[in-house]
Amino acid sequence: MQERVVVVGGGPAGISAAIAAAELGAPVTVVEKNAYLGGRPIEENYASLTPYLESAEEVMGRLIDRLTAFDNVDILTSSQVIGKSGDSRPFELDVLTGSTATKLKAGSIIIATGFTHFDPGRETQLYGYYEFEDVVALQDLEAMLKEGKVVRPSNGETPQRVCFVQCVGSRDRQIGNEYCSKVCCGVASKEAIEVKLAIPNAEVFIFYIDMRMYGYWESQLYWPAQEQHHVQYVKGIITEVLPKAGKLLVRGEDTTMGRPMEVLMDMVVLSVGMEASPGTRKMAVLLGVEQNKYGFIEAAHSPLDTVSTSVNGVYAVGAALGPSDLEDCASTGGLAAAKAVRDLHALV
Amino acid sequence: MPVGGNKQAPVITELEEAIVVSPLSGREWDVSGATSRMLESRVLTDYGSAGFARIAALEGGESLEYCYGCGKCVPVCPVDLVSEYGPRKIHRRVQTGLDLFRSDELWMCTTCGNCLRVCPKQVNMIEVMPAVREVAMADGTIPEELQQVMEKTFRYGNALGENPRRRHAWTKGADVEVRVLANDPRPVDVLFYVEDYWSYHPRGQQAAQAFARILTSLDVDFAILGSEEKTLGDSQRLAGEKGLFESLMEQVVEVLSKYQFNRIVTPDPHGFNALRKIYPKYGHDYEAMHYSQLLASMIDRIEFQGTLDAKVTFHDPCYLGRHNGEYEAPRKLLEAIPGVELLEMGRCRENSYCCGGGGGGMWLDGFNSNHASERLSERRVREAAETGADILAVACPYEVSRFEDAAKSTGNEHLRVMDIAEMLDIAMRAQDWRI
Repeated sequence: MQERVVVVGGGPAGISAAIAAAELGAPVTVVEKNAYLGGRPIEENYASLTPYLESAEEVMGRLIDRLTAFDNVDILTSSQVIGKSGDSRPFELDVLTGSTATKLKAGSIIIATGFTHFDPGRETQLYGYYEFEDVVALQDLEAMLKEGKVVRPSNGETPQRVCFVQCVGSRDRQIGNEYCSKVCCGVASKEAIEVKLAIPNAEVFIFYIDMRMYGYWESQLYWPAQEQHHVQYVKGIITEVLPKAGKLLVRGEDTTMGRPMEVLMDMVVLSVGMEASPGTRKMAVLLGVEQNKYGFIEAAHSPLDTVSTSVNGVYAVGAALGPSDLEDCASTGGLAAAKAVRDLHALV
Repeated sequence: MPVGGNKQAPVITELEEAIVVSPLSGREWDVSGATSRMLESRVLTDYGSAGFARIAALEGGESLEYCYGCGKCVPVCPVDLVSEYGPRKIHRRVQTGLDLFRSDELWMCTTCGNCLRVCPKQVNMIEVMPAVREVAMADGTIPEELQQVMEKTFRYGNALGENPRRRHAWTKGADVEVRVLANDPRPVDVLFYVEDYWSYHPRGQQAAQAFARILTSLDVDFAILGSEEKTLGDSQRLAGEKGLFESLMEQVVEVLSKYQFNRIVTPDPHGFNALRKIYPKYGHDYEAMHYSQLLASMIDRIEFQGTLDAKVTFHDPCYLGRHNGEYEAPRKLLEAIPGVELLEMGRCRENSYCCGGGGGGMWLDGFNSNHASERLSERRVREAAETGADILAVACPYEVSRFEDAAKSTGNEHLRVMDIAEMLDIAMRAQDWRI
């Protein structure tokens, strides 16, 4: 059996890693649990990707086309890695496709199992995600934007006042997620711009603790949202959402004014953060790699080696490592591919 | 306050008599009849882009909504130190529904430019405020005392409402001949544009006379416009009267077109700013200098007959320093005077504190006294006194009167306020001057 680079997960990071490994001439197998490739952006119906607002389907489609064009890449969809034998390279992996079990000989393994959106039902603040139809999460609004129909779920009307609430499920010791999820400020600003483009008369607000627009997102997203699309940024987080006369009353403290605020909204969007996906947690245990306290896979030699895990020959990429944007996915994918292909050569 | 399920809105009451005492200056002011802020509803109930949109629709008003609330402007805003005011706060208050067009805050900005210096988003209050004020002017919602100055400027061509024919009355006390172009229209090197406060204010006139003596002793070929001179009106522009400024400009340009001169030299940084930055936008290009620049360029030719033994601190005028980048010329002159020991205040040069006179503040002392714990000039004089200086040197005609009043009101009468021209004149003429 030929030794291969096995990539577990077919989202942005996994596909990036697989393409890079294939370009380096290695035989590659991608194992994807869904029946399709594309990961979160496709599974969750993202309308567009941050920061350039390009269609998620188009961008991911181009990436998938590049991957499938390689002769040296096998793609196993509807498949999961369910077992591993051997403590060192090469590993033997048991893969289940539907009800069919097969074995793969992996010279190296790349874990690209990504993140899951924080469940707002676990939020300690009373945001009423499951109580009020018009309280939605970032990915819910993405799906609406993708359909080109931003409406209040409760009555189908076009919302005139939409607010985003930042840091939902992030930066919270009580919830257990003490990290910043890194992308939500940018994603919320991107969606705010898209709401303004879809409903020009709408007032759109972003309530925040700190705006964390790292790098170019500052001038790519934050400034245009404020300066060209007139999104109203308010420093002060919402602590509760209450029903009031068919609308939602968001309550919090306006921290720069030092005053309480109570503002009526038609729709509230919770900027949920990232958590380690079930797949990431499962693969970490199955492959025996160390996780951090939040369930993400620990990069063993960070900061200058972002992809090596505690097990030789096993790498992690993208949001399996922690909150990541698409650039992180592509960068870590490429680096892991280089190391994984090197491992293959080292075996010869 | 809500008590046991019986929620009652607080009642807003008016206080019949109340005096508030500033913990900083000890100054008292009367807030009788004013609504107590503590009894207003504290809850903010809306945010919106509409206020920004109204302002952004005005030329120069676009940048107010760019504020992202970092707060860098507030500690350097001179008004914030004596009042509840600052550019960041204006942004937030407009976002929460303040009608800036009809608010008192509109008139509190002195356009000193220190906020813009530090603003990462380049929120330009120097353009926002005049743009909004222009609308308020047209609507007639302008403080009475400022309105009077605008009317005087319109009627007499000067902010003081003085007789235009007496514009060069000061020359009589100069002890040197001062050529008036209307009487002797030969080409001249330096057109000395005296501006209002050196023309009419008694202490300004003394500085004008000193400057005329200095120019004469340096054999500078200079002349004035006399009764043909009108104010350049830059502060009127920044206070919102763009129309008045433009009409003055037309008249000034017409008068200037009658004469041949190489350069315009003015003691007024506000007029200097207009000639240097605003006139060219309308196609009127003149070589303009502040008087300190002209004299600094001739410093090697100045012969001092005596000394001026004093510790001196210098107040950078906003419109000479921050707005036009000239920090060295006044210092070069002061350091050249034998006997002068120059002591810098903590806030100087780029970060100089504002005297309160710019952007219309010169004519809003009464209005501002209702909003501030003390005058900016009083705060500045306090800083000057802390250096241990004997003399507060100035290079802007607005400042002598402002700082002299402030020195008295803050109990710093020992601090002499003098224009740099006066100080040079004393040392050049070997007058016996001692503290």
